[in-house]
Amino acid sequence: MTDIPPLPHHVNPAPFDPYAADKVVDGRSFLAVASPRQLMWLNFKRHRLALVSGIFLLLIYAAILICEFLAPYDLHTRKTDYIYAPPQAIHIFHNGQLTAPFTYARSVTLNMENLQRIYTDDLTRPQPVRFFCSGDPYEFWGLIKSDNHLICPPTDGELFLLGTDRLGRDVLSRTIYGARISLTIGILGVMMSFVLGIVIGGLAGYHGGIFDLVVQRITEVLQSIPSIPLWMALAAIIPVTWSPLLVYVGITVILGLLDWTGLARAVRSKLLALREEDYVLAARLMGAGPGRIIGRHLIPGFMSHLIASATLTIPGMILGETALSFLGIGLRAPITSWGILLTEARSVNIIALYPWLMFPVVPVILVILAFNFLGDGLRDAADPYK
Amino acid sequence: MITKPISRRTVLGLLAATALPHRAFAGPLEPAFFADAVAAGDLPDMTTRLPKNPRVINLAAMGRQVGTHGGKIRMLIGGQRDVRLVPVNSYARLVGYDAALALHPDVAESYTVEDGRIFTFTLREGHRWSDGSPFTAEDFRYAWDDVITNLDLNKGGPSQDLRSGDEVCAFEILDTLTVRYTFAAPAPDFLPRLAAPLPLILALPGAYLRQFNARYADEAALAPLIEEFRVDDWQGLHTKMSRQNRPENPDLPTLEAWRPRTAPPAEQFTFERNAFFHRVDETGQQLPYVDELELNVSSTEIITAKTATGESDLQLAGIGFPDYTLLKSAEKTYPLKVSLWKRTQGSAVSLMPNLNYLDPVWRALFHDVRVRRALSLAINRAEINKVIFYGLGREAADTVLPESSLYRPEYASAYADFDPEQANALLDEAGLATRDIYGTRLLPDGRAAGIIVESAGESSLETDVLELITDHFRDVGIPLYIRTSQRDIFRSRALGGAVMMSVWQGLDNGIPTADMSPEDLAPTSDAQLQWPVWGTYYSSGESAGEAPDMPEAQQLVDLLKQWRSTITTEDRAAIWHQMLALRAEQVFSIGTVNGGLQPIVRAANLRNLPDEGLFGFVPTSYLGAYLPDTLWFEREA
Amino acid sequence: MLRYIFWRVLAMIPTLFLISALVFAIIELPPGDYFESYVSELQALGEEADLAEIELLKERYGFDQPMVVRYVRWVGGMLTGDYGYSFEYRLPVNEVVGDRLWLTILVSTVTIIFTWALAFPIGLYAATHQYSFGDYGLTLVGLIGIAIPNFILALVMLYFANIWFGTSIGGLMDREFVNESMSWEKFKSILEHLWIPVLIIGAGGTAGMVRRLRANLLDELQKQYVTTARAKGLHPLKVLLKYPLRMALNFFISDIGSILPAVISGAEVTAIVLSLETTGPMLIKALQSQDMYLAGSFLMFLAFLTVIGVLVSDIALALLDPRIRLGQGSSK
Repeated sequence: MTDIPPLPHHVNPAPFDPYAADKVVDGRSFLAVASPRQLMWLNFKRHRLALVSGIFLLLIYAAILICEFLAPYDLHTRKTDYIYAPPQAIHIFHNGQLTAPFTYARSVTLNMENLQRIYTDDLTRPQPVRFFCSGDPYEFWGLIKSDNHLICPPTDGELFLLGTDRLGRDVLSRTIYGARISLTIGILGVMMSFVLGIVIGGLAGYHGGIFDLVVQRITEVLQSIPSIPLWMALAAIIPVTWSPLLVYVGITVILGLLDWTGLARAVRSKLLALREEDYVLAARLMGAGPGRIIGRHLIPGFMSHLIASATLTIPGMILGETALSFLGIGLRAPITSWGILLTEARSVNIIALYPWLMFPVVPVILVILAFNFLGDGLRDAADPYK
Repeated sequence: MITKPISRRTVLGLLAATALPHRAFAGPLEPAFFADAVAAGDLPDMTTRLPKNPRVINLAAMGRQVGTHGGKIRMLIGGQRDVRLVPVNSYARLVGYDAALALHPDVAESYTVEDGRIFTFTLREGHRWSDGSPFTAEDFRYAWDDVITNLDLNKGGPSQDLRSGDEVCAFEILDTLTVRYTFAAPAPDFLPRLAAPLPLILALPGAYLRQFNARYADEAALAPLIEEFRVDDWQGLHTKMSRQNRPENPDLPTLEAWRPRTAPPAEQFTFERNAFFHRVDETGQQLPYVDELELNVSSTEIITAKTATGESDLQLAGIGFPDYTLLKSAEKTYPLKVSLWKRTQGSAVSLMPNLNYLDPVWRALFHDVRVRRALSLAINRAEINKVIFYGLGREAADTVLPESSLYRPEYASAYADFDPEQANALLDEAGLATRDIYGTRLLPDGRAAGIIVESAGESSLETDVLELITDHFRDVGIPLYIRTSQRDIFRSRALGGAVMMSVWQGLDNGIPTADMSPEDLAPTSDAQLQWPVWGTYYSSGESAGEAPDMPEAQQLVDLLKQWRSTITTEDRAAIWHQMLALRAEQVFSIGTVNGGLQPIVRAANLRNLPDEGLFGFVPTSYLGAYLPDTLWFEREA
Repeated sequence: MLRYIFWRVLAMIPTLFLISALVFAIIELPPGDYFESYVSELQALGEEADLAEIELLKERYGFDQPMVVRYVRWVGGMLTGDYGYSFEYRLPVNEVVGDRLWLTILVSTVTIIFTWALAFPIGLYAATHQYSFGDYGLTLVGLIGIAIPNFILALVMLYFANIWFGTSIGGLMDREFVNESMSWEKFKSILEHLWIPVLIIGAGGTAGMVRRLRANLLDELQKQYVTTARAKGLHPLKVLLKYPLRMALNFFISDIGSILPAVISGAEVTAIVLSLETTGPMLIKALQSQDMYLAGSFLMFLAFLTVIGVLVSDIALALLDPRIRLGQGSSK
């Protein structure tokens, strides 16, 4: 013991209040009483990009419900006079005057030297574009017959905002219809892998023992084989006699079937950790069965994590579908997805001569980015007590 | 009896051969490629290497130029298996077709045919395999005794091509340069089989192959070889080392213009000129002009792109009509030249209603000629031609092309007009008059009359044409559903009667002569998707499948059998016309557009490749009939 | 520790057995067999197949026998070093792979180095500047790599590399070097072509790795020992590098398992489009043409590597991180 004076330090002159942290005043202390859900929302909002992405995805999913209305043409409409027509611009100035939106009439000439179709705009013939108008007839959801479209070609012309393909089909309309397939494949596939992952992972994690051992081996096996060969094998056994719609379901199932292993592992390891917690013991002592314990007490504990990681696997499924289409074992015509559109566009001819056919790559990028940001945001928000 | 006269060209050739010393051209006779080897004494000089009577190709008479030696042709292939296209294209055969589809002796110096059944071939004196060993009747004997009829090696014995009925033909050696094959009955198929892209092989380099044959080599010598080449037994070894159609053994002596230098697996295959090749130009220069071929394996995805950036000096495979625009625009930036040849298929895309379809109602309908005619009349061929082929194709039924001497306009125009009214009338007559509220026709048993058409899905051409036809058929009340099948099970399903209608290209050989077999016209093979079961019946020697239960189809088989016993070209032509007329009337396959175009890309300074030609596997062997050994590189002065 | 390793190795045996069954199922599931697809491919070209030869091969490889017999034969063969026969190449499987393996390893190694070199600083930056402009920007760039379907990206880069830099299209080198031995020129040519696949394959991996590094690092940075270190006045960089980074790097080790097979198989789809002479396109081609022994043995090889990789990473983790050892690998 020496008599060295204490280091200078700050002493709070206010009287000590042991309940200060519990007091509810406006501002920060809201955090103390907020429900987990509110906290997550707060956390999530901090991730601006995630918020924007979420809204974008909501909009685009809403849009696929009404493809028929949004697309100017039907999915299969062919205009054989307009093959490989480049995108048309919508103008609002004609001869320096502001007019209703219009396009110029087009004429085509064949260059027999190159065998190329050359389109020229006739600048003297503006053709007004129509809105909320009648165009190709369709059956909305197979129930309501209608021919109403958001935007239609001029009465005596065509409207190819993103050009046409080798049979004269409108790229924009096909991209819009393709969204319906590509986006639902991702969601349905993830739902499936989600259910499988939770059930299998949950049982393995909770029960342990033989069941766990078997599940572990199966996940290990599935994860040690590259995914593309697995996809190929499963896609190859889809019978050729199946209708395109069934094939669509089949492909979705395949994508889901091979994706659950990651989730199952996550669920299992979380459960292994959580089942030793006291509140689980308490629940068991009170007579809760495994189903109730897993479903009511354990899963909610990390549900948010699961949703976040599921969100992050959706892009993989959308891209997986494009890869399957690329290998020629994916969806079959007349079902049209972004993967099919891109597969049709994957030749050097198209890059060099008809680049507008590659447009579907834009929505693919946007959607995948959005899902990634959304997933990141969700994950950051998932554990609000961090 | 006819004797094949020595053709005019051979006579010219013989004259030219005697005129050899008076060469009009200044280039050295000895290819520079071999100059060192000859100087070092590793290789005899050119006069010793050539047969005494080489085949003289008179380029001037063909309207081509005499060239100079040297250079390397670079090509692209989609997989290493495609090296087999080299012997197809280089096309040295005992007898072979020229561009006008006349048969000429090529490896053989001459041949005679008696009674249409006795074939005698005379070889060129002093002709050698690419390793320098002599090519004589002994090589025919080796092939006949030790391979073809050796049941150890060739389990099934001589193939159908060497038999008439069940009887195997007789083989004799008349002298060291003359061999004879005698059939019991006329064998009009025999010479065309020798001239085929994948020919019937009658001679093998015995001197080289003996070492792999247990008749000549003892077990102790074979064992290490079997080990080295990783085969199970000497039969496997012999088969592997003697494979002619796939040039994968660089040591195997050949008679082709270029011999392989690379053993697979590899990413690049080189072929170099055969020092003992038997053709010369009129100035006495040994052919081929080009020293080397270099084939690079590339993914099929990018062959077009690579070709368009000047990475290929001669490209036929892996590029198609839709690539023409890109290739043509590449002419501006790269030294290449694109020309369009005509494809020889009877139809670029044709529909084959399966007459062996399992469903009895549909089968009965397809057996009804009115239905087949109606479907043909419902197709708007002009639209297909305009959309897909820029109007450059010919709208026609699936039959021979105008380039064939057997062509008659009525074959091509039979039921090939666009006449939906008549189509509707015919369908009404055929019992499909009832329609549902959507205008779809109903089958007699009340089902909707939708046709499922299956495609192997290989080319976008097929699916594009089908898209158009779907609309055409809808207008006559028949919905068409397109289904893309995996190709490998497509055939077995078709054979099982599970395929309702398929889409395939038309007749393989759209430019036949009367001397070529009309077997494609009759049900002879399980690959014919309109009657696979009947085809099997024929090809299996009536042991599998079923006999045609349609008189017209049976008639085609009978006519084919008659053709098999003909001797004169006139008789053969008469039978061809009967068959073609029958097919035109019966519309067994529904053609759309023929004379489709195939772009062919060559280096700008590669000479002697015609700007126009016929492109097909049979009978021209792709470039084979156009003599690719006469291609040469013009160097800038 | 030895006991742990012993049990892990023992556990591999049933796994490998299951994998072999699954691989066999993959190659047997699709209807038809190689010969059917071969015959029909030839027919599409207008050729007739050599049926006699095919019959011979079919008989030799027991295609007339039941599936179980073939499975047992195949597994038995592999155990004795016989990987079967490739019908496509008409060669024993182990001779087919050849040079492709080395080129694959080259491409993959460069890609992995590229990925790490890029992911590491970006991850560090993103974690320490969470929600900053840089964080978003760098993540975005990384994500675009995964967002574009590889085959489109490959095709576009191929095309523009040719137009802008005159790089020959496809492959890993100019065609004149294919059969040459290594030289400075050839090396340059390889470098000129290599960056495209490395960029395309690497982009996706980089984004994933950045994300994991960022997440792990963020977790660590919020722990109390970091706060303590900061409170003690340690230099921020040192705070970052001393412990949190080390802990966050554990996942690099656990990644070995997935890296090994990736190194060998290469990114299949990209490699197909770029026509790389690697093993990926060969595998896909073999699967498509149902060249069953080539596909099967190669898949088995890949799976084996994964299993080994997982084993190695488990052991390494257990050695490095005592916490895992105690947990007996309950959370791998």
